[in-house]
Formats: sequence, structure tokens, C-alpha cells
Amino acid sequence: MASLRRPSRQTTAVVLALAEEPSAWRYGYELCQRLDLEAGSLYPVLMRLADRGLLETAWDTDAPADRLPRHLYRLTGPGRALAGRLAAAPPGRPMPARSAGRIGRRPRLEGT
Amino acid sequence: MNRGKRIGRLGGLAAVAVAATPFACLWVVQVANAPDPLTARAVLDIAIWTAVLGTPTMLAAWLLWRAWWRHAGPGLSGMDGPAWVLSATGAMLPADRREWGAAMAAELAQVAGGAARWRFGAGCARAAVFPGGNRAAVLVAGALAVAAVATAALVTAAALPAGRVFALTFAGLLGGLAVLAAARWRRLGWTAPGPALTGLALAGVTVCLGLTIYYLAEHPSYDRVDRTVAVSLPPVTAVILAVTLAGCLALALRPPRWLLPDRKARWFGIAMAVALVGGFLLDARLVQPGLDRGSQGMMGYLFNGPLLVILPGSALAAVAGRSLRSGLWACAWAVALAAPLLVTAWLAEAPHWDRVGRGAVLDGAGPMGVGANLGDAVWWPLIFLTLWALPLGVLGAAAGSWRARRRRARQPAELAPSA
Repeated sequence: MASLRRPSRQTTAVVLALAEEPSAWRYGYELCQRLDLEAGSLYPVLMRLADRGLLETAWDTDAPADRLPRHLYRLTGPGRALAGRLAAAPPGRPMPARSAGRIGRRPRLEGT
Repeated sequence: MNRGKRIGRLGGLAAVAVAATPFACLWVVQVANAPDPLTARAVLDIAIWTAVLGTPTMLAAWLLWRAWWRHAGPGLSGMDGPAWVLSATGAMLPADRREWGAAMAAELAQVAGGAARWRFGAGCARAAVFPGGNRAAVLVAGALAVAAVATAALVTAAALPAGRVFALTFAGLLGGLAVLAAARWRRLGWTAPGPALTGLALAGVTVCLGLTIYYLAEHPSYDRVDRTVAVSLPPVTAVILAVTLAGCLALALRPPRWLLPDRKARWFGIAMAVALVGGFLLDARLVQPGLDRGSQGMMGYLFNGPLLVILPGSALAAVAGRSLRSGLWACAWAVALAAPLLVTAWLAEAPHWDRVGRGAVLDGAGPMGVGANLGDAVWWPLIFLTLWALPLGVLGAAAGSWRARRRRARQPAELAPSA
């Protein structure tokens, strides 16, 4: 089995946090507080994950009229697969690779 | 008066005050550094000239603030500091990342407490400026930047000591721009202003660089009137030249997104830059030789050229584009293109002027040697012209867009159903 370079510590933490409840949508500020991450570190990670098709994004349509709609995040199928491999591989060791969700290759997704 | 109007008026006053400050300092420096004690009349004369030069800048600052506040004020007046910062930096995101800016702004609305809001807002601003580019590309660009600075240091130490500050600053700035571009690079992110504009800017910067190196190698110093040796390109002047050339390169290769869509403004900018440089060459070659020796020099052209070219050109661009913005962008392109080309023309003319005994290009004074023209070329066709031409361009654009604004203001009334 081929092995892949492990993502950064912050990316790993974000992916694992999102994988705790894979079907739940999360807010950016909530992730910042939960992981004790600065917004300047979190958002580039979220952008990269979304670019690679590992993260699904949506706008909160239930927001009250006087409030800006918030952005929501959860892992896609390949994102969950990545989370599984990250959880399985101990830190400091390369991850086992699978065809789905290879880091650096962007699967095609419809919409955001 | 509501908060928005109050901030708008205070901001206008602050813009005028900021624009007036350098001119007030200039007046104080001129009076304080006069070789002989000045009469009250002389002090007043200097004040009048400084006011003449400063008025377009102050008016331009006020017009720019008013136009910007009219557009952005309603949205910004209800925001606090972190929201302002995030709004400003969110506008720097590439078009296909804009929704991330909106996402961060919406999250900031949920954060309570001044310190927490500032922390979150500053973090989001950092993410907006560096939205996660290619790490490998950043590392490669960083390594190349370090190598370029080291090479510049070695080469100038061995072969061009007079160009040390210039070369190190220029290489460092190019390296920094390359790292920034790599940090913001995306597959769809490349934007260029078109071959004509890029070609003209690259040609101007390249020839200007070549002539600067020639001057530093051949005329690294010159004799002042009192015969003490002076350096052709002192450190501050060298840094200004390096910053300007690097800025022109950045504009030519990767301009900000908001400068790009207006194609007409780009062509007006090119035409104005060519007219300004052509006028300079015509004046230097055809008009100046016919003048009395005491009235020779290109200082007059630097004052009149922008009045004749940039002011009406920006007005025409605003009329053609039916907006203030078109005139402003045309003026910005014209100055960015003309600056390195005018320095080039200045440096190319100087040896000829020296050969025929006409002294320095600035005022015909001399003989001080060709090297004196290098510093003059930075302070006059670069700094003075830019500071004089930009406000004139703003005034021209405001005048040109006046009719369009009136038409827009009348439109709702005309469209309303008659009773």
C-alpha cells in the first residue's frame, strides 16, 4: 500500500473535529473555539479542504432576517475517508493511501 | 446629524488635513532652510506657491473621500473596528473566494466582546490576505528571493558599489512580491492587464533599470558647484526608485483585480502616458534649444505637462466611461506607465544636454556632471510628477463624471410615472 505525507497538525485537528459528528454542520467560530485555533489559521485550512473536495460548505438558510446568514461546514465522503485514515495512523507516521480523497487531487463536486 | 453623516464630514476634514500636512511641512522646511533670512514678502510668496501646489491635492483628497464614503458609507457606518478591517481585507480576496469573505464577516457578527472581536477580525483579515496558497510555491519563491538578495549583495560588492542600496532593495522587493504572489496564487487567479499595457510597462521598467545601472557604473558621483563630491544615487533616493520600479512591475504583471475590468480606462491611460513622454521629448529636443540659457530646463514641462495631458485626459476617460472610476483608473494607469518612461527619457537626454553644454536637465544649471541627473530623475519626473499628476487626474475625473452623476441623479424622477 502506498503511503502519503500526513497533513499539517492544524489540518489534522480540523478534519478530526469535523469527523466527530460527520453529519452535523459546524460554524467557523465554533471550530475556532473548540480547537483553540486563530481564525487566520482555521480559514486557510477550511479553504484548502473545500478546494480539494474534502469539505462541503453551505449557507445557513434558517438565519433570522436581521442576521447575516452563516457559513456551515461538514466533511464530504472523501473527507470522512481521510479522517478515518488520520485517526488510524499515529502522529509522525505516513498515512496509508486510498484512491478516494487523495490529498492534492480534487474530486469533482456539484455546487458548494 | 446621524452617525454616518458625522463620520462622513469628519473623514472629509481628516482627508484634507492629511493631504495638507506634507505641503505645510514643505513650507516650514523651505523657510527654515533658506540660506539668508527671508523677508515677510518672500515667506508669503513661498506660502502662495505651496498653496498653489497643495490645493489640487487637498481637493482631490476630499473628492476621493466623498466618492468613497457615498458608495461605502451606508454599509460601514454601522460597523465597529474589526468589521471595518475585515470588510477592507475581504475586498482583497480573489473573485472565486469572495464567499469566504462573507462567511468570515457573518461569523464575526456572532463574536461578542471587544478583545475577542479584534482577535477574530485580525485572524480573518490575515486569512483574507493570505488565503492559503501553494506552500511549496511559497517556499520556492522564498528561497529564490533570498538567493536574489544574496546575489545582488555579492555582485554590487564586487562590481557596482554605488548601486548597493538600490540593488538590494529592488531584489528584496521583487522577492517579497514573488512570495506574496505565491501565497495568493490559485489556478484561476492570474490576471493581466493586456499585452499593450504590460509590454509598455515592462519596456519602461527594463530600460529604466538598464540606464540606472549605466549611470551607477559610469557616473557614480558628481561635483556639486562647490566641488565637493556628491553621490549620484543617495540611499533614500535609491530606495524610492527601487520601490517605484518594483511597484510598476507588479502593476504590469499582476495588477489588483479592481483596476482590470475597465478596458477604456486602460487605453486612455496608455494614450496619456505616451502623450506625456512624447511631449517631454519634443520639449527637450525642439523647444528647449531655442530658449535663452537662463530659462532652459524641463521643470516647466513637469508642471505644465500633467495640466495639459492628465487633467483633460482623465476628464475624457470619465466622460467615455460615464463614471468617476473610469477617470481615476485611467489616471492611475497613465502615471504608473509614464513614471519609468519619463525617468528613462530624462536619463537618456542628460548626456546630450551635457555634451552641448546645456547643464542639468532639470533647470539648465551646471555644469555639475551627468551623474547629477540620476537623483534629479527620481525626485522630479518620478516623485514630483506623480504627486502633481495624480490630484490633477482626480480633479479631471470628477469634472468628467459630473454630467453622468447628474444624469443618474435625475433618472429616478424622469422614470417616475407622471401624475
